[in-house]
Amino acid sequence: MKPRVLTVLILALAVFMNACGKSDKDLAKAATDKLTADKVTGVTVAVNGGVATLTGEVADVTVKSNAEASVKSVEGIKSVTNNVTTKPLPVATPAAPDPLLTGKITEDLKKAGCSTASVSVVGGKVTVTGEAPSAVYAKCIQTIQQSGIAGVDNQLKKGR
Amino acid sequence: MSQEKYKSLLELATQNGTTYDLGEGAGGGLVVTGTAPSEEARQALWNEYNRLDPDFKSNDLILNIGLGDAAGGGGHTYTVESGDNLSKIGKQYGLQWKSIWDANRDILDDPDKIYPGQELKIP
Repeated sequence: MKPRVLTVLILALAVFMNACGKSDKDLAKAATDKLTADKVTGVTVAVNGGVATLTGEVADVTVKSNAEASVKSVEGIKSVTNNVTTKPLPVATPAAPDPLLTGKITEDLKKAGCSTASVSVVGGKVTVTGEAPSAVYAKCIQTIQQSGIAGVDNQLKKGR
Repeated sequence: MSQEKYKSLLELATQNGTTYDLGEGAGGGLVVTGTAPSEEARQALWNEYNRLDPDFKSNDLILNIGLGDAAGGGGHTYTVESGDNLSKIGKQYGLQWKSIWDANRDILDDPDKIYPGQELKIP
């Protein structure tokens, strides 16, 4: 009688373990392997009850979301808590001194058909005033932003 | 934070082959400096930017995307310094001033007027 009870117990346990799927430890390993395969570095995974928690510091917000997508795709992971942070960014420096930038942007704007827009530059930050026809509005903004500036105060009015 | 706001823009850049670096600009905005593989790729980024920030009014992003060599917009460029003229620049590359002039007609109006900081295409 007794051995039969034991057999039933073992069987029940085996069925139970199977239903639960992989252990947290296995899941953490699978998730870590998946991150390595997807070339995501700097992210650590901990799994508790099938819920993965991601920690670490990465360069860029896209790495953070890639890491989450990778771990979510691992079979057995129920949900992902993404506590990954992004590194502080280096301070961007303007490409040229203010008067030079002013001259360059003014020239570039003329060529782009935005001569009704005017700019002033202080500390690499450009204030744009005036008005631009709606047909070239986006091009005017693009011209200004591609001049190697560090900031913008866009007061340009969008005309007709 | 701007990075979260413009996440889809950065993802699009990664997908369409644009390489970029991030920086923090004056006033705490995000500065994206990079190189797109084609004009279409660059325009797609600008369209996404306009979608996320209609008419670019938020002043929290500088999108400075140039074109790569493969796009034909690259090749060698020369940045004009004070005291330069086309003949002088041409000599450095063994070129006639006129071939530099021809290659830069889109940005130059007059061969005698070039300004420090201008980027000239060297054919």
